[in-house]
Amino acid sequence: MAESLTFLPKKASRPGPGQQHAALDLAGRLPPLVLAARTAAAAAESGVHGRRRAGTGESFWQFRPFVAGEAAQSVDWRRSARDDRLYVREREWEAAQVLWVWSDLSPSMNYRSPLALQSKAERGLVLALALAESCAKAGERVGWLGLTRLSSSRDSTDRLAVALLSEARRLDDEFPDLPAAVPLRPREKAVLIGDFLVDVAEFAARLAALAGQGARGHVLAIFDPVEEAFPFEGQAEFFDEAGALLRAGRAEQFAEDYRSRLASHRAALEQAARAQGWTFALHGTDRPATEALLSLRLALAADGAR
Amino acid sequence: MSFLALSFSAPLVLLALAAAPLLYLLLRVTPPDPARIAFPPLKLILDLKKPDATPARTPLWLLLLRMALAALVILAMAGPVFTPATAPLAKSGPLLLVLDDGWPAAPDWAERVKAAESRIEQAGRAGRGAAIVAISEGSRPAALGDAATALSRLRALSPKPFFPDRLPALPALANFIKAHGEAQLVWLSDGVESADGRAFAGKLAALAPDVEILRDPRPVRALAGAENKATALEASLLRSAVGGQAQGLLRAFDQKGALLGEAPFDFDAGLTATARLTLPVEIRNDVARLDLSGESSAGAVFLLDAGARRRRIGLVAGASVDVAQPLLSPLYYLRKALGPFADLREAKPGDPDPIGHLLDEGVDVLVLADAGAGGTALSQRLDEFLAAGGTILRFAGPRLAAGGDELTPAHLRRGGRTLGGALSWDQPKKLAPFDANSPFFGLTPPAEATVSRQVLAEPEEGLPGKTWARLADGTPLVTAERRGPGLLILFHITADTTWSNLPLSELFVDMLRRIANLSALVAKKAAPDSEAPLGGEPLPPSQTLDGFGVLGAPPATAKPMLASGNILVSAEHPPGFYGPPDAPRALNAMAPGARLAPLDISGLSLKSAELTQAQPVDLRPPLLVAAFVLALADALASLVLGGRWRRQAALAMLALTLGFAPLAPPPAQAEPARTSQKVSPRDVESALATRLAYVVTGDAHVDEISRQGLTSLSEVLAQRTALNPGPPIGVDPARDELAFYPLIYWPIAPETPQPGPESAKKLGAYMKQGGLVLFDTRDAMFQQPGGPETAARRWLRAYLADVDLPALEPVPRDHVVTKTFYLLDNIVGRTVDGQTLIEALPPEPADPANRPARAGDSVSPVIIASNDLAAAWAGGAFGEALYPLQPGGERQRELALRGGVNIVMYTLTGNYKADQVHVRELLERLGH
Repeated sequence: MAESLTFLPKKASRPGPGQQHAALDLAGRLPPLVLAARTAAAAAESGVHGRRRAGTGESFWQFRPFVAGEAAQSVDWRRSARDDRLYVREREWEAAQVLWVWSDLSPSMNYRSPLALQSKAERGLVLALALAESCAKAGERVGWLGLTRLSSSRDSTDRLAVALLSEARRLDDEFPDLPAAVPLRPREKAVLIGDFLVDVAEFAARLAALAGQGARGHVLAIFDPVEEAFPFEGQAEFFDEAGALLRAGRAEQFAEDYRSRLASHRAALEQAARAQGWTFALHGTDRPATEALLSLRLALAADGAR
Repeated sequence: MSFLALSFSAPLVLLALAAAPLLYLLLRVTPPDPARIAFPPLKLILDLKKPDATPARTPLWLLLLRMALAALVILAMAGPVFTPATAPLAKSGPLLLVLDDGWPAAPDWAERVKAAESRIEQAGRAGRGAAIVAISEGSRPAALGDAATALSRLRALSPKPFFPDRLPALPALANFIKAHGEAQLVWLSDGVESADGRAFAGKLAALAPDVEILRDPRPVRALAGAENKATALEASLLRSAVGGQAQGLLRAFDQKGALLGEAPFDFDAGLTATARLTLPVEIRNDVARLDLSGESSAGAVFLLDAGARRRRIGLVAGASVDVAQPLLSPLYYLRKALGPFADLREAKPGDPDPIGHLLDEGVDVLVLADAGAGGTALSQRLDEFLAAGGTILRFAGPRLAAGGDELTPAHLRRGGRTLGGALSWDQPKKLAPFDANSPFFGLTPPAEATVSRQVLAEPEEGLPGKTWARLADGTPLVTAERRGPGLLILFHITADTTWSNLPLSELFVDMLRRIANLSALVAKKAAPDSEAPLGGEPLPPSQTLDGFGVLGAPPATAKPMLASGNILVSAEHPPGFYGPPDAPRALNAMAPGARLAPLDISGLSLKSAELTQAQPVDLRPPLLVAAFVLALADALASLVLGGRWRRQAALAMLALTLGFAPLAPPPAQAEPARTSQKVSPRDVESALATRLAYVVTGDAHVDEISRQGLTSLSEVLAQRTALNPGPPIGVDPARDELAFYPLIYWPIAPETPQPGPESAKKLGAYMKQGGLVLFDTRDAMFQQPGGPETAARRWLRAYLADVDLPALEPVPRDHVVTKTFYLLDNIVGRTVDGQTLIEALPPEPADPANRPARAGDSVSPVIIASNDLAAAWAGGAFGEALYPLQPGGERQRELALRGGVNIVMYTLTGNYKADQVHVRELLERLGH
């Protein structure tokens, strides 16, 4: 590994037409994602999940006898004409499920080795947008955790991308590497994507804050193949996005230590996620994005144990 | 500072070369880099430490390369200039520049200034003073100053649009020579004789020995005149000498500067040339300015005034003009036919002497449509008119046929004897083809043009020669006769359609056009000055040419010119347009008949030289290019040494080198300043996405409800319909551009002050353009049926007082707005029983059963609701209602949103749901 590696420019993490197209393409290859419906979010917004109760929906639910004092216009005269009683037509309450997506866009994600297909930030963004697109297509409501409102419009990827762009301008591309600690409402779902090269205690605390009210979610840790294999040798000078420097006369000496530390870090992350009832998965940028998307969709559609 | 021919503009920079050894040391100790590797998970192993390796030294050849690069950059910064040898100044005294600044100097003015500059700079470098004398300001004494003063004075000069006299400048020159004996005299001549050139040159040669004369070898070209001939506008061109470019392009412009046409010209080997501009006569009449392309001087511009353009034609009818039946008036056909290419004059109705008044107005052509020309005084005036070159065009008619009129080209048979019996043809006669000697030759008589009555000419000697057009049986239809310079033409038919349908045909127009063109020729030849419109009154200048031939506001020195008499172009009378803007008189730089002779200085002791000289060469660009190439080589070397050499990098570097090499020598061009119009980002956003808008009332609570309501409605629209609106926006109708918003929601807050009348005007325009304003009085809860008007309604009524609104009615049950997306009974909001008003529909059709939905021709510009719609739409982040509804219930909120969806759909799709093709579907769904 004689070549030197650098971080991509800061602006590389901004969503561009390329990422949006990739996300739409990815989402287009799979059917719309209807989130597990057993426990739809308690929102009044109408959606595809029948609540098996009377409410404001499109499909017929039941006729019930007219109760004195009701508005006469709610009487269904066609049905009432069949016998001597008055009936009211009720429709099924149909509500939408909620999915929050979040992907790490911090500078450490702006990294792509020659072995990878995409930079980590790009892969995370594409996955998040593709998930959002799938859900919006199915009529679910999607939002970027801590940034946008929920919306189910069909151009949701556009909206997310625009919101991200303006946020990138506001923050000068210095995105935080953990999501904001906004408590999620019960039965909402979240998907967090990132490299999570952070303090494990901090990660656990943030996850606890998010899941405090019983929301469920999935953590997908993205890594570059170089970060797993550590294929460096010879004279080298390592640096990270924060500016920390490490000069190595012979880089291969570090490989063994690094791999063991990485394994323990990942184990700790998984432990923290499981503690909240969330799932944790790994995904390398040398693998196709479809793999990760499929596993996320399976997890979201199955809705775990609860 | 200069070494031989090489000089430096900033020689002190060369001292930096002394610092080169320092650079040597600095470069020597800088080692090559280790491989730098970005590694995000570095935190995991940051606490581990291992021993380092030592750096290497920079190789010597790279060191030399970099030092050469530095030396080149330093040399370039010093600004080296290579100056080719110029003729040294002959004398030790100050420099006296005499500058011809008439218009012949204008085309190469920039080169003249450059030549003068180089002379002055040369004198300045030699530490001598300089003075400039412009010929046009010759009488002023020449003031000696330093080179900078002379240069600034030189730059203030510009060519004048006339030939200045050279001789008056001599005394000032003589005085200067007397005062500064050893003065070096240089004359920058324009190379044109112009009356006193040789005399001036002779006296100049006598004034001082070794006088130098600088001339441009290229000849001066000028436009001497232009004439409107029958088929083309002919311009005559002059040049001062043979040589230079012989071909060129003549361009014609109208009054407003639009290019009308171009014509090539070729001097061949002569001194004169002609350019023919063949254009339709209507367009030719609009030509106001001719110029020679690429020759920017006042002499290369020729201005045309009304005299050279449109014929002024006076129309007189014998019959009384019936205003109520214009098609029966003979003048109607003449007006239509002549109007496009002539300036028509008619006497005032009821004028006792129409012909006399028209002649006083100075017409070129007098058209008498069956008007009598009898009476001694009148016939004398008409004779005078003909003698002055005028054209009289007569049309026959009952009066002429009755006889008693001698003003005809041929004797007419008159009395009852000639007409009636002899002319009671069985069939109307057609026209015969035109003879070759007729001015109408080339025109084709249409088969459908027939003549059913005419006056007959007496057969006499010379009649065939006078005949311009004849009927198929040989009887003359149009006869004409030259009377002195004038022309008398008679159409043997009426100018209206009673005798013939010829006035209806295209041929009639063509014949009249040819006659008008012919008359132009006649009048011009006879008396060029006879058309002075205003006698001896002075005409103030309205637009004048500068020396470069550009029309502009007249200078302060320009004085009015007398309309009559021969005006010589001078500083007081610059060439240009004089008089009122609608009928200007043109004065041209080249007087009629003027010649352009080259300056002849043979036999005089003048040192002649060419104007253009070798320019000093700036050596900076080649030095910088060399430095750039070295920098590329250095970058390559660094890559090789740093172990980062790759094929792609090599190829990219090579491409870069090749790509830059041809680009490097020419200096960078200044980018043309782009004019960008300021568009607010908010307008840009609104233009890019369809979005709902609400009016900011000033009541923060109401505005917040509007925002929430429209946000929720937008979300619902995005979810359920094909429309994907952007986030709603608050607008101020008085200030913001409204054109981007299809629908504007305006909740009435009666406590807030009324916006100004400006906003009402703007809102009215918005509605006219197709926008829809949804007013919401929000007062259904307080409004009693038949009770007093609520405050909100009074407010709205007062505001809309000045807006042009259509008649309104409560939304009928079958109005299309209740069918556009959902099938609704009425528009509900927080309340359900308020009335909603919309533009009244046309009356109900006869068979209402087949028309479940009705709509007007367009979308109603206004809807006035009273149910407080936005408050019912407003929902929180999770879809819950934010404001209590009356009577309440989820269903009511849903219906309110559906009403909103319907209104937006109505705004965007208009009456299409009322279309018959939807009837079946709508009926089916209504019945379900």
